[in-house]
Amino acid sequence: MDHVFSHVAVLGSSGVLLCGIILLWRRSLPSYITAFRWQSITLAGLTAGVAYFGEDRNLYWVAAMILALKGLVMPRLLERMVRRFMADSEVRPYVNTASSLVISGVLVLLAYAAARPIQALATSPTRGGVPLALGLIFVSLFVIVSRRKAITQVIGFLMLENGIALLAVLGTYGVPLIVELGVFLDALMGFLVMQIFVYDIHDTFSTIDVDVLNRLKH
Amino acid sequence: MFRGPGVAIEIAQSLLALMLAPALVGLVRWIKARLQSRQGAPVWMPYAQLRRLFRKQVVVSPHASWVFHVAPFVVFGATLVVSLLVPIAVTPLPFNDVADLFTLVYLLMLATVFLALGGLDPGSAFGGMGSSREMTIAALSEPAVALAILSLAMVSGSTNLGEIAARTVADPAAALSPGYALAFVSLFIVMLAETGRLPVDNPSTHLELTMIHEAMVLEYSGPYLALLEWASWLKFFVFCVLASNLFVPWGLSTSLEPGALAVALATTLIKLVVLAAAVAVLETRVAKLRLFRVPELLAVSFVLGLLAAASSFALR
Repeated sequence: MDHVFSHVAVLGSSGVLLCGIILLWRRSLPSYITAFRWQSITLAGLTAGVAYFGEDRNLYWVAAMILALKGLVMPRLLERMVRRFMADSEVRPYVNTASSLVISGVLVLLAYAAARPIQALATSPTRGGVPLALGLIFVSLFVIVSRRKAITQVIGFLMLENGIALLAVLGTYGVPLIVELGVFLDALMGFLVMQIFVYDIHDTFSTIDVDVLNRLKH
Repeated sequence: MFRGPGVAIEIAQSLLALMLAPALVGLVRWIKARLQSRQGAPVWMPYAQLRRLFRKQVVVSPHASWVFHVAPFVVFGATLVVSLLVPIAVTPLPFNDVADLFTLVYLLMLATVFLALGGLDPGSAFGGMGSSREMTIAALSEPAVALAILSLAMVSGSTNLGEIAARTVADPAAALSPGYALAFVSLFIVMLAETGRLPVDNPSTHLELTMIHEAMVLEYSGPYLALLEWASWLKFFVFCVLASNLFVPWGLSTSLEPGALAVALATTLIKLVVLAAAVAVLETRVAKLRLFRVPELLAVSFVLGLLAAASSFALR
């Protein structure tokens, strides 16, 4: 049973990481949102799997919330934002696609190196996925710094959130439900605030390219 | 190892691959046509195409040298040898001693190189363009394949095809491990690139500036063209068998009993049909990539191979 559990955990977390890497390959904002949506759905599925194998009733609620909030609501809100800025939906990253893919590969290797002590100490069947979760955190930080649209930075932040949730689920089978609720509320608030900011940036500068923010307006 | 009957089965397996390869391609075309709500040519259409081509005479450009005449045979021969090595129904067979993944990759590479030479030889503009593109893609897909192989080899401790398959048959849950899953996606992307399927090359167009495989075989006609086409279909078949029987070898037989053989053959055929359907659905969903984006696609494959190798190494 434990054998299957660890396979499911590692397979699910590689699926989540895979969505993050696919995102780096895509070019347009709508496909970024699609990648994020699939990542959240995979994460929800993995959480439900951990709930089943780890026999933790509360994790089902967490899985349902991930699915509802990050799999349905947030992608829809993001899509509404993108529709408003339809004119420039191409991402144009600072680092070209091929190099960012290779860099993300190196980051995941780094995560493997960094997670070695944790893996050596942990005894839970889910420990195999910990380096992948760390890798996802690194990759999302890389998305935030290497993409110049404000929306892509928001997506990077949400992916980072997914990475931390993944790490929590794998490391300790999730934190207590009340803390989880707080985190969700935080993420939602952060997202809404960022959404307002993006709209404001667009109103003021008539672009969401963060590169032009250092240009004085008045 | 089964010496005497093993060799017979091995050859029968390869002949079966040769016979079924056109049907597999025909199946992909038919599913694709149905998905695009067209009537679609029947599944056995490629056989009729082969028969027609074998009956025609060969027209050779006056500028062509002996390379042009040799290339179809080398391409067909190398692919046929590869089909002898892959585990189609039974795994440890006599030829398995040489069935190394590296042998397999470089036999396929030999075929690719000769195909490119055959395209260059008559000196037509299209052929040269196709060959240069093919070599670019081949050079980029090779590291991805090498890494995918490395991750498989790390899990099973050998680069021998039979041993990898036998190891996974003995421990079916291993097929779910992340190393396998990532390596599978990586090899699937390379398969699409190597066999000229849609995101990289469009197999159904003729005379278009973006074509690769068709550009190389443009100067060939008659039986030569038939051999090249057959070889490319066989290559697709071999890649499908590899993808299904190395990564999910469930049902593969390890003995020569007729019952087990029949089950193994049936499961392989089912897996092939599923894979063909997956390729057809993918080809209807995606558009062809710009040539300059192909390296990025292969970079995805490379990174996945790297991750596969890293996770197999970490989980060992």
